[in-house]
Amino acid sequence: MTKPAPIPLSIISGFLGSGKTSLLNHLLTQADGRRITALVNDFGALNIDAELIAAKHGNQIALANGCVCCSIGDDLMRSFIEVMQQTPLPDHIIIEASGVAEPSRIAGFAAVDPQLRLDGIITLVDAAAHATHANDPHLADNYRKQIEAAHLLLISKADLSDAENLAALAAELQTLRPEVPQAQAVHGRVPIDVVLGLNADEGADAVTQPPKGDIDHGLVHWAGHIAPLPRAEIIKKLETLRPHALRAKGVLRDDDGAYVLHLAGGRISTQAFDGDASGHFVIIGKPQMPDAAALENLFSHGEAA
Amino acid sequence: MNPHLPHATHIAVRDGHILGVGTADDIDSWQAAWGPLDINTDFALRTLLPGFIEGHSHMMEGMFWDYHYVGYYDREGPDGTVWPGLKSIDEVVAKLKEIQATRKDKDTPLVAWGFDPIYFTDRRMNAADLDSVATDCAVIVLHASLHILNANNFVMEAADAKGSDNSEFIRRDDNGQPTGEFLGQLGFYMAMRTTGINLLAIASSPETLVNFANVARQTGVTTATDLVNPMPAGSEKPMREAVDADDFPMRLVVAFQGNSKEPEEAVARVQELQASNSDKLRFSIVKMVADGSIQGFSARLKWPHYYNGAPNGLWYIEPERLAEYLKAFTKAGIQVHVHTNGDECTEVALDKIEEALREHPWPDHRHTLQHCQMATRAHFKRMKSLGVGVNLFSNHLYYWGDAHINITMGAERAARLDDAGGALAEGVALAIHSDAPVTALAPLFTAWCAVNRLSSGGVVLGNGTQNISVEEALYAITMGAAYSLKMENEVGSLEAGKRADIAILGDNPLEVEPLKLKDISVIGTMVGGHVHLNQGRD
Repeated sequence: MTKPAPIPLSIISGFLGSGKTSLLNHLLTQADGRRITALVNDFGALNIDAELIAAKHGNQIALANGCVCCSIGDDLMRSFIEVMQQTPLPDHIIIEASGVAEPSRIAGFAAVDPQLRLDGIITLVDAAAHATHANDPHLADNYRKQIEAAHLLLISKADLSDAENLAALAAELQTLRPEVPQAQAVHGRVPIDVVLGLNADEGADAVTQPPKGDIDHGLVHWAGHIAPLPRAEIIKKLETLRPHALRAKGVLRDDDGAYVLHLAGGRISTQAFDGDASGHFVIIGKPQMPDAAALENLFSHGEAA
Repeated sequence: MNPHLPHATHIAVRDGHILGVGTADDIDSWQAAWGPLDINTDFALRTLLPGFIEGHSHMMEGMFWDYHYVGYYDREGPDGTVWPGLKSIDEVVAKLKEIQATRKDKDTPLVAWGFDPIYFTDRRMNAADLDSVATDCAVIVLHASLHILNANNFVMEAADAKGSDNSEFIRRDDNGQPTGEFLGQLGFYMAMRTTGINLLAIASSPETLVNFANVARQTGVTTATDLVNPMPAGSEKPMREAVDADDFPMRLVVAFQGNSKEPEEAVARVQELQASNSDKLRFSIVKMVADGSIQGFSARLKWPHYYNGAPNGLWYIEPERLAEYLKAFTKAGIQVHVHTNGDECTEVALDKIEEALREHPWPDHRHTLQHCQMATRAHFKRMKSLGVGVNLFSNHLYYWGDAHINITMGAERAARLDDAGGALAEGVALAIHSDAPVTALAPLFTAWCAVNRLSSGGVVLGNGTQNISVEEALYAITMGAAYSLKMENEVGSLEAGKRADIAILGDNPLEVEPLKLKDISVIGTMVGGHVHLNQGRD
């Protein structure tokens, strides 16, 4: 009997009012057949669309699209035990952490449980309240820890902030966490593939499905074919896009065989793949990313960018 | 405890209440007015005190009797069996071997509880000890603190304890080998996941309740609290049936878990629960948890934070959300007990209570800070001004006093740990507690801690100004706790008209050495006129 692959764990962190619930709700509507179990702090705050709810019992809400939500109450350990006793086990676990949680401590569960792996910590930064939070006499350390633990920083409430303020915030976060990608999340509208699949844990299994979902999030989406160049060359090309590309994946081939190429959480990685390589590649990025024609040109030719 | 009559020789009981307290001379007048009384002299040589009130305990205490007791002191099980205290690690191992030899299903995990390494200074229990009990099933020994457990190699292998980098939650010896001790939340999680049993499942069955009541009763408790319970819909009915039974030996006050619902819904749920209140069961209060624990480095401390330089702890609720809840409950006239351990948390909780009171003034709210272990004199002064009471975690002085001096706070701040003397000096309403099952449920032991302030390592915390007298400590475990639960009119003292709740003791606490206070035997209790005797006590 082979051991089942560990279940990816994503942690959504961020202060009270930073948009964690909106993000979670938006992710749940994009689950698209994946069995996601979401752990939320309390149900009261999670205004799940009524039409998504299939049944409610105890501290669980079953959703029509295959998701289950459990409330954490005061006891995360108990919630984890209960979730890991579900049959079948979920495909992905998302925790909406409390506004004052330290996500790295929650990630400890994935570190000790061989059936879990940390997929990523997503920290929402409220653009309108950043200055207040960063200087709060009782919460500033907590705020910083949430940013320090992140594998993806999502700036929320950008619509309530001016361009100058946003630029300053982006620069500040860039200084604090230069290696971590940033994106904006207005009303939680971020593609599920930007948020899940960060593969913070290097030992992640290959993901063979290209990203799906509508891209109506202020982000751009490119899908195309990549020429069978040596992987080192492809990686070099992808690196030039890194400041603006948030997520990329595809199954490619070179002389060494088929492999999966990922860009997630700011990191590029490859894994050998046992199967046919389509050469199909998908990138989700910010609007600053080169346009489709430029990307087509970059990846279909041998020339360096 | 009645200042008008601090000492008496006779007490008359009728219909669950105290008819009168006095001397042999009063018997005739009681009988003249109320008819013949049965004269019971069984306890003529005993000391009767008001029944003790444990203002901060958890029903989970009652869950452990599903497992096997291996504590240091004799303990009577809920079925009346006396489990003898085990005085060495070898005795614990021998007891476990005996259990393993006689139990039916030998493949299921063998779980024991109550083990307290404080008493065994020569060495710590290790995996080899428990391998000698069994190698082909999980053997788990829960420590009394519930922060550590010992396991055998069966569990260690299943948990891959030897392989990964896990020094935070697996104790290792000088050679880097895991010893079999799993530490803290993640250690418990690992042990539970690999054995497939939930050692800390939510305790709610009627059996658990009865076990809890019996454990408490043995220590002289007549009213205890289950100080946080989410009370899912409908759970009050079986609880009411269990507690109202005549042979249920205790009154129970259940604190609703405030943040288990949104503020307005939580208010509505508490009001709904209160319709199920009875003489013995009360849903009068709400609990909110604001930070973690000091020994777990998850309490919020003011600068300079932890003595060993560990990063500051955790908020368990956003201060803003705490304020929302406090406002909703204060507006509705529902008393709130707020868990605060670190001094930063105590300060923020006071800020938020003040904010709620400015919006919804309530002269006798009696909101209470629970644990509140690092409060300064300044905090106590402010609590007095705001009308906030305190229930201090005095048992901590003994169990973690040394750790607080050496690791978490340093001697200067540890001197004011659970400063009962300071609270009384500043005029704050005081109760003291065990937080059972975190520490042993036994109000006389808790009183002993507050009186003597002695750590398990033999160090006295503070300079004497923090100690309280035996009388003050006895008041804290009776009227003090009753006041914190707004029950001072019903229980907490022996006087005509109050409920007949009595602790029957083998010795007079005011006559023994203060250092012997914890060793006084509890003969039994009376609850609402019903006598409950402990087995084999004298």
